Amino acid sequence: MPDARITIFDYGAGNLHSLAKTVASAGTTPRIETDPIRAVETNVLLLPGVGAFTPAAERLSAGRDVMRRALEGGLPCLGICLGMQLLFDTSDEGPGAGIGIIPGHVGRIVAERLPQIGWNTVDEPTDPLFAGSGLRHVYYANSFVCRPDDPSCITSWSTHEGDRFAASVRRGRTVGVQFHPEKSSRAGVAFVHAFLKEALA
Amino acid sequence: MLTRRLIVCLDVKAGRVVKGVNFESLRDVGDPVALAERYEQEGADEIVYLDISASGEERATLLDLAKRTAERLFIPLTIGGGIRSADDVARALRAGADKVSLNTAAVERPEVLSEAAHRFGAQCVVASIDAAMIDGTYRVFVKGGKVPTALEAISWARECEQRGAGEILLTSIDRDGVRSGYDIALTRAISDAVRVPVIASGGAGDAAHVCDALGAGGADAALVAGILHDGVTTVAALKAAMRAAGLPVREAPPARATA
Repeated sequence: MPDARITIFDYGAGNLHSLAKTVASAGTTPRIETDPIRAVETNVLLLPGVGAFTPAAERLSAGRDVMRRALEGGLPCLGICLGMQLLFDTSDEGPGAGIGIIPGHVGRIVAERLPQIGWNTVDEPTDPLFAGSGLRHVYYANSFVCRPDDPSCITSWSTHEGDRFAASVRRGRTVGVQFHPEKSSRAGVAFVHAFLKEALA
Repeated sequence: MLTRRLIVCLDVKAGRVVKGVNFESLRDVGDPVALAERYEQEGADEIVYLDISASGEERATLLDLAKRTAERLFIPLTIGGGIRSADDVARALRAGADKVSLNTAAVERPEVLSEAAHRFGAQCVVASIDAAMIDGTYRVFVKGGKVPTALEAISWARECEQRGAGEILLTSIDRDGVRSGYDIALTRAISDAVRVPVIASGGAGDAAHVCDALGAGGADAALVAGILHDGVTTVAALKAAMRAAGLPVREAPPARATA
């Protein structure tokens, strides 16, 4: 896929290296874009998973409507961790508006030990990206999870202590994963590659 | 279900891996990037680079090392050693680290934990605590475990959590490099005192020690170094023992031919 433009939207915080290298290992060097309006001028949009909801929502705000229309128009998008949370409306982590492409809110995990840091299993996966990559154990680093209004968008589950939450969601060509595939070793990298293959097909 | 983690620590000095015995007598064991990659292939859940360089010149190589590692490593990478400020945290994350551990700087100015957590999230802020028993209480040490402070380890761990640390990396100075087992009482006391995950460190001599730290010690993760670098055991053997002890463990990746 040498001609495809894959764009990582940069909220200005944290490690984008691993995601960029994960994408690059599929054959395309991604563009890193800090402007949310320019970010949608792409064939594939990646919302990375580092930072906090409120500052990221602020960075997004000028382009929120543009981004939402692009996703509704069929632009393939993979949101990772915080990037998944930004697909929703609001977050208990702090003020600010997400893209709102998937109705619902982001809430704190109900558990004794937080943040949830480490490897958890992906249960009842229905998204074909899982079968395509063999991904079963995934790396999490989060205290908040997405609570969709309509659970039919949920394509896999994980459980931390007693709280069962959406490990992944999909609406059309928009996919959100609460875990970090770019940190989930070889199967995680294969998951991202499977998404890119589908997105660029 | 969240699995218990086996974390491999590489002590680095001027860009090479070394491992201290009681924080002294360093022995060269190899190239960090090659070792990190090998441990990922063997099934390590995370890698930690702890920079023990004495000088700024030696330490300048750390960010370059993080960058080179992040290009080839697809499991979480934590770096620590010489991180002083939220701006240092920013540079480390930008270079390719997923988490940053703070030790002496947090003791000297605890606000640095909150500043880093506010900017980058608690999940990337690791409070590293070096502790040893003095007169019946666990005291916090700084400067690579050499200098005692007035802080008591359990209350300091609680403060680190309150200030925004997302994990506690707890090292027993008495046990570090000795291979007689983790300090289970210390590990249990800290893991009972805080809600954030606790990584037990210092003292791993065999698989039973690792299982004890995760079982009786209540740690979420066990950190190992020397026994792997020296070939005493392997990641696969340690994880098999963890599984046999009934601990939830990430499935090892498919075996790959070794050169």
